Amino acid sequence: MAQRTSDRCATGLEGLDTILYGGIPRSNTVLLTGSCGTGKTSLALEFLIHGAIKGENSLFVSVTENSEKLLQNIIPYQFFDRGLIKSGRLVFVDLPIMYERLGMTKPELSMEEIDLLVAAISNLAKELGTKRLVVDSITSVCYKLKTSEKIREFILKLSKALSDLGCTSILVGEVAADSTSYSSFGVEEAIADGIILMANMERRGDLLRTLQVIKMRGTMHSRAKYVLDLTPVGVLLVPLLKGGSTG
Amino acid sequence: MSPELMSAQQIAKELSETPPSSAISLQMSVDNYLDVIRGVVDLFANKKEMDTIYVTATISSDAIRRVLEALDIDASRVYFVDCISHIMMGASAAQQDEHTTLVESPTMLENLMLKVEYLIRRSQSKDKLVVIDSINSLAIHNNNWILSEFLHILVSGLRSRDAYTVILTVEEHSTPDINNMVSLVCDHGIRAGKQEG
Repeated sequence: MAQRTSDRCATGLEGLDTILYGGIPRSNTVLLTGSCGTGKTSLALEFLIHGAIKGENSLFVSVTENSEKLLQNIIPYQFFDRGLIKSGRLVFVDLPIMYERLGMTKPELSMEEIDLLVAAISNLAKELGTKRLVVDSITSVCYKLKTSEKIREFILKLSKALSDLGCTSILVGEVAADSTSYSSFGVEEAIADGIILMANMERRGDLLRTLQVIKMRGTMHSRAKYVLDLTPVGVLLVPLLKGGSTG
Repeated sequence: MSPELMSAQQIAKELSETPPSSAISLQMSVDNYLDVIRGVVDLFANKKEMDTIYVTATISSDAIRRVLEALDIDASRVYFVDCISHIMMGASAAQQDEHTTLVESPTMLENLMLKVEYLIRRSQSKDKLVVIDSINSLAIHNNNWILSEFLHILVSGLRSRDAYTVILTVEEHSTPDINNMVSLVCDHGIRAGKQEG
């Protein structure tokens, strides 16, 4: 499917944009999933920083780590400029603070509270003119939703609201290292427009960080597995050599 | 009587006659390793003011650094991707500075490519040289299938970035399979060793 460059949200990660034939189709909601230590947060942050550098307002909704700690992780990137935060191009919001302000203190959210949370996030995105958004992690939000119905409702409504704003979103998901599923609750993967899987792959005793685009609505894409490295110039990707592949 | 070993000057002259983005197979003997180093790093790359990314799988970057020092070769433009120090459990001894990047094992060929890619991106020099020292050492740790695939992807990538690639082959340790693998991806061949072409 051919798309104009303007219909794409170029991630700024050269290798990933090549895999996606130019970038994520604009307004898509992508599940970036994988086990711990695979580089999900780094990749998501880089996506936002490149957006902010290009003049697209970017919003990071942090659920598990506080923003200050995250900022320490950005610093090694050579292309990161703190001025992006000062100018408001790159904004960090801690979801636990949002829960508190919305009075969501119970361990499980009701359907009404889900609507309230979706409205709060989308209103913030609208107010900030956000074009790129990351929720890290959606799995942690799901733990407060408990049931598949609520998770489905939340992700569907949030995706719709962000898509209506022309915002391209990445929902970071966490799965166990031995999981055969792409998400913890099995719901997230079905709703997302795209799935990018990050993993640790063992080959003859070596542990390689890998990335694979499983699906991406609205574009052709490579389905091959790539090996990645997190460097000060950003995430770098090369194809997984198949001569020694065990999987 | 066997032919004479090629001198450092001759090696540099032959390299200078190849255009940027060339992949060159440099077959050497264990007896003229020092001439090869001088010819490639000093008389070719340094003279052209280009950064050298030196992938070492034979001896540690520390050892090569000492060789460069002994030969009085300026190493300020040489950046090492060291695939051997870590596996020899000598990582703590190897210098980990902006001139040296360690790869855990020579079997992690993708990581080797990623480190080369990182150094290429970081390099400020117009022209760049990537030296693989040596294909024979990499062949100890990898089968020919994966090594061929690695060479093909690495050389293609470097060619698109207008970087020179020099793949060192030690003739005493080489096999027809390895020689074929190298010649398949290279545009030029330099025979600096003892064997006749």
